[in-house]
Amino acid sequence: MRRWYLKPWLFGIIAGGMFVFAEVIFNLYPPTAYTFCLTCHTRDFVNTIVNLLFNTNYQITFLARRVLMTTSLCVMVGAFIAARVFNEFRFKKSTNPILSFLTGFIIMFTGIVIFGCPTRIVIRSGYGDVYGIVALIGIFIGILNGTTILKLISRVKYSD
Amino acid sequence: MKVYLSIVIGLIGIIVGFLAQRSRMCFVAGFRDYLLVRDRELLLGLFTFLVTIWMLTSIMYSMNILKKGIPEYGDIVVRSQVEMEISGMNIRHLKLFGGLSGVSSIMNKFLIISLGGGWLMGILSTFVGGCVLRQHVLIAQGNIDSLYYIIGFYCAVFVYYNFLSRFVVNLY
Repeated sequence: MRRWYLKPWLFGIIAGGMFVFAEVIFNLYPPTAYTFCLTCHTRDFVNTIVNLLFNTNYQITFLARRVLMTTSLCVMVGAFIAARVFNEFRFKKSTNPILSFLTGFIIMFTGIVIFGCPTRIVIRSGYGDVYGIVALIGIFIGILNGTTILKLISRVKYSD
Repeated sequence: MKVYLSIVIGLIGIIVGFLAQRSRMCFVAGFRDYLLVRDRELLLGLFTFLVTIWMLTSIMYSMNILKKGIPEYGDIVVRSQVEMEISGMNIRHLKLFGGLSGVSSIMNKFLIISLGGGWLMGILSTFVGGCVLRQHVLIAQGNIDSLYYIIGFYCAVFVYYNFLSRFVVNLY
């Protein structure tokens, strides 16, 4: 099949419109701005199953009592379909498993504490939430520092 | 548990995953690419996303379709949300200029937690090479590093709610 790419700005318009309209049409609140989040929905999904299995009472949001949050799995399924249809599925060997594991671990913690993965932080900023905008500024500062460190590492590595 | 709402959420996930794989969208790599190689394409994607949502929600708020106020935070209620009766925290209703009352209402612990958490998320995502959405797309393309990332991601939920949540609730 012919290669077909989507421009990122088109993704922004399509996805942004879809999230807002889905919330309005299907009444997907409270909490608001909750149609798409990978950390919070994963949290709800795991906690719903754990609550059912072990009869515990872990925290889930109001919306998760009505809806089963399978976003994390469905994103993987959708991306897998796209990768298969356009022949982009290739195995790539692991280079640093411990760093990846720990990063996922810590990002889940921060995501639960500040209520959102980077995607939902941008959505919350769009809704006008002050704390979302502050977190977005924090992400930008973090990327600034991260790129500086990456540049320093590469300079040390390839200097001689 | 409503079945059709679950299907809606799942369909949104599948569509977003499909489009994100096609466009290589990443919410961290946009700014990173701009800083490293001056590539503006992904950054443009982030800003169109933000602007689309901002404009649509402005229209919806003015038409009274969307519930006025700000995102609630699950079951945990942040303290200033109670003090300011919720509407105080939307930047559209906040009087940031001309008076200290607007500014002091948002100055609390959660502001600093948001800033610090965002910073940690940004710096770690830069090292591992993509935001959470991008990692989900990469695992579907066969990247084994992202598989470890997702395993850590799911493990963290168990660890957090078994051991750590009792300490963190005091922070809000």
